[in-house]
Amino acid sequence: MAYGGFFVLLFLGLALFYPLFRILALGVGEGFAQALANPYYWERYLWSLEYGLLSALLTLSLALPLAFLFRRRFPFRGVFLALSTLPFVLPTPVVALGFLALLGPRGLLGVDLYGTKVLLLLAALFYNLGLALRILLPVALNLEGPLQAARVLGASSLRAFLRVGLPLLLPALGSAGLLVFVYAFSAFGVPLLLGGARYATLEVEVYTLLAYRLAFPEASALMLLEILTLGLAVALYLRLRPYPLPPGGLLPPPPWAYTLGLGAFFLLLFAPLWGLFLRLDLGALASAWASEDFTPLSVALENSLRFTLLALALALPLGIAYAAAARRSPLMDLLGLFPLMVSPVAVGLGYLLAYPNLRGSLPLLLAAYALLAYPLLARALLPALRSLSPSLLEAARVLGATPLRAFLRVEIPLVFPALQSGLALALAAILGEFGATLVLWRPEWTTLTLAIYERLGRPGEVPYKEALAIAALLALISGLLFYLLDRGRGRWG
Amino acid sequence: MLRIFALLVLLAFGFAQEITVLTHSSFSLDKGLIARFERETGLKLRFLKGGDAGETLNRAILTKAAPIADVIYGFDNTFLSRALEADIILPYRSREIQNLKATLLLDPTFRALPVDYGWVSLNYDRAYFKDRPLPKAPADLARPEYARLLVVENPATSSPGLAFLMATVARFGEDGYLDFWAKLRDGGVRVAKGWSEAYYTHFTPYKGDRPLVVSYTTSPAAEVYYSEGKYQEPPTGNLFPELAFFQVEFVGILKGTRNLEGARRVVDWLLSKPVQENIPTEMWMYPARRDARLPEVFRFAPEPLGSVRLDPKAMAQNRERWIEEWTKVVLQGQSPEAVRQGRR
Repeated sequence: MAYGGFFVLLFLGLALFYPLFRILALGVGEGFAQALANPYYWERYLWSLEYGLLSALLTLSLALPLAFLFRRRFPFRGVFLALSTLPFVLPTPVVALGFLALLGPRGLLGVDLYGTKVLLLLAALFYNLGLALRILLPVALNLEGPLQAARVLGASSLRAFLRVGLPLLLPALGSAGLLVFVYAFSAFGVPLLLGGARYATLEVEVYTLLAYRLAFPEASALMLLEILTLGLAVALYLRLRPYPLPPGGLLPPPPWAYTLGLGAFFLLLFAPLWGLFLRLDLGALASAWASEDFTPLSVALENSLRFTLLALALALPLGIAYAAAARRSPLMDLLGLFPLMVSPVAVGLGYLLAYPNLRGSLPLLLAAYALLAYPLLARALLPALRSLSPSLLEAARVLGATPLRAFLRVEIPLVFPALQSGLALALAAILGEFGATLVLWRPEWTTLTLAIYERLGRPGEVPYKEALAIAALLALISGLLFYLLDRGRGRWG
Repeated sequence: MLRIFALLVLLAFGFAQEITVLTHSSFSLDKGLIARFERETGLKLRFLKGGDAGETLNRAILTKAAPIADVIYGFDNTFLSRALEADIILPYRSREIQNLKATLLLDPTFRALPVDYGWVSLNYDRAYFKDRPLPKAPADLARPEYARLLVVENPATSSPGLAFLMATVARFGEDGYLDFWAKLRDGGVRVAKGWSEAYYTHFTPYKGDRPLVVSYTTSPAAEVYYSEGKYQEPPTGNLFPELAFFQVEFVGILKGTRNLEGARRVVDWLLSKPVQENIPTEMWMYPARRDARLPEVFRFAPEPLGSVRLDPKAMAQNRERWIEEWTKVVLQGQSPEAVRQGRR
């Protein structure tokens, strides 16, 4: 098992720490202290904190009841679950377009929320709800036994939930809240698109300092502040104690009203996207397919699928190895989350300094994808792994299994739902092009998301319609992939 | 992992005939042209996109010690001084220089050669202003009835946004530009993150609520070109040639190239007639060659007369300060006087 941890550390060392070190090394000098004394940056910092915390609270407060509802088997359960992860893959300009069409200055609902915190928080909820749900759900599925026991012993349902269910869920809540916090805290596009520059996060400042001004000392100071903050958040979360639970399963189906209610909820949550599908222009899809002015959709689709497959092949073993190692070592837990704590632009510039010969090469691209995808996979896997009863593993060992064999044959099958969820999140991170922000891009690598950006960079109806059509297609394909993944081999029910 | 790495290093050294061109992300040329060049020269072209013009140049400066490309294309006159001062480009007196418009040769050391040029300009929605009066002079924009119709890009995150800011500096002067922006702010100007957001979410032809947008002089022509015959006339128009901001995009050979001869051929090729005539409808800029014919649709993109220019040196020296002062006035709501006092 130690090899797994070594594998993760080796990867992190090459793909993250060394390039990051090259950038931070440029940051020693004048300006470091000045940046920390600048009240403007502290304002950005406080706003990032506020946005991160509020987003995490709002998302958890909805994801928790949802996770309980999803413990049951009901019609369209898989569809709803697949839907919940969809926003993660959508390019921010497209989502912003949807939100503003609904709640913008000339929005359909007649309420102009442009530039208000409400709209920013709604967007954070929209993006992160699926993430939180997918982390809570695998543990929520194991809760029925303990809850029943509590009720048998005389506790009311409420009391059983508060005194038994909630404490058992705490590690998963921590994991989910932490991730939402990290994503909102370091959000880049969404606050700028929906609220304007007033709502720039600290991450935006880091980006400007690095990419436009080459002001390394200032950028390093702010980056260290980010890492310290997120490190503190992780340290807090690590204090949550996991409890071993026997594996559970789906509960019997509820009345139809359940499905209807959830349907209405998702209809509302995804309102910003309906416009995308209602306006879907099949003609635009056809013209995009063999476009002469832009990257043809056929090429972009092939690239997306190819890169996704290749990057998953790297992210899956990384994620599992990291989850296995982090279960025992809090230090590994912290280190493995680093890819999300560090400004992507810093790592990207670091690559150029550290590996000039690898620029524009496929392995570097795939490593970048995997780097930002594996932590999500592991975050979904960890709470479930931690809640497994150690006696299962001990039994397997007593019966003569090697640790690796026991892990792969006993524990992994038991946390299969969590693995599926984790895979879905990793897939979302890859389809959402998180990795693309790290490397220099080659035109022939254009994927679906980048084909959208490419079109949104030229003025005209055709590129506009094609961009919206490709976004709808991206949503459709991602939804389908998530759905297939959730159904897995029928283990959900 | 190691074996792959070794293989890659081998490839990188082995194929010296590959020429890497670092470009901005708007780069685009006809694939047939690229393939023909590769066939004729035996060189293999590899394009790397490094973000917008400023980001791309910065990446080249950062990796000066171990260059990541042979040729850099796309840095403009607002970044020219930085590029030259960073000393990353080799001089090259291409034989094509004699065919280029003389006004574009801004670098007397022949390191940065002009490839194309254009203007950042205000666009207006023709349908919206059909029976409403257009503003008559740039200063009118600051009146509340027009300021609340305008969307601009943030100069800190967008190159057209920065160009428009510089245009206001050139137009209203160091003392006046902040007053102009303060009035725009009070009148309700909207600031978008980048061009795509400004154009596609806030501009009225695309269901936004702002009929005035900072874009390019070629945008109306592009609207016709990309409408598949729907428009015979552009749905948008250019406003205020005197507020248009002139941009020249350059190409240069990066110091440390392993294939100087190949890099030179790429520069010559970019300045050759076929490529120059392909640039207008691919990147919506005007070709630098005198004898390059413009496509028919460019009759909707007349070159603005009397546009403003700034000295490259002044731009390099003051860029950061202008952005900072703009941020203080427009985003943080400070008064122009306070900001001007802060200069001393």
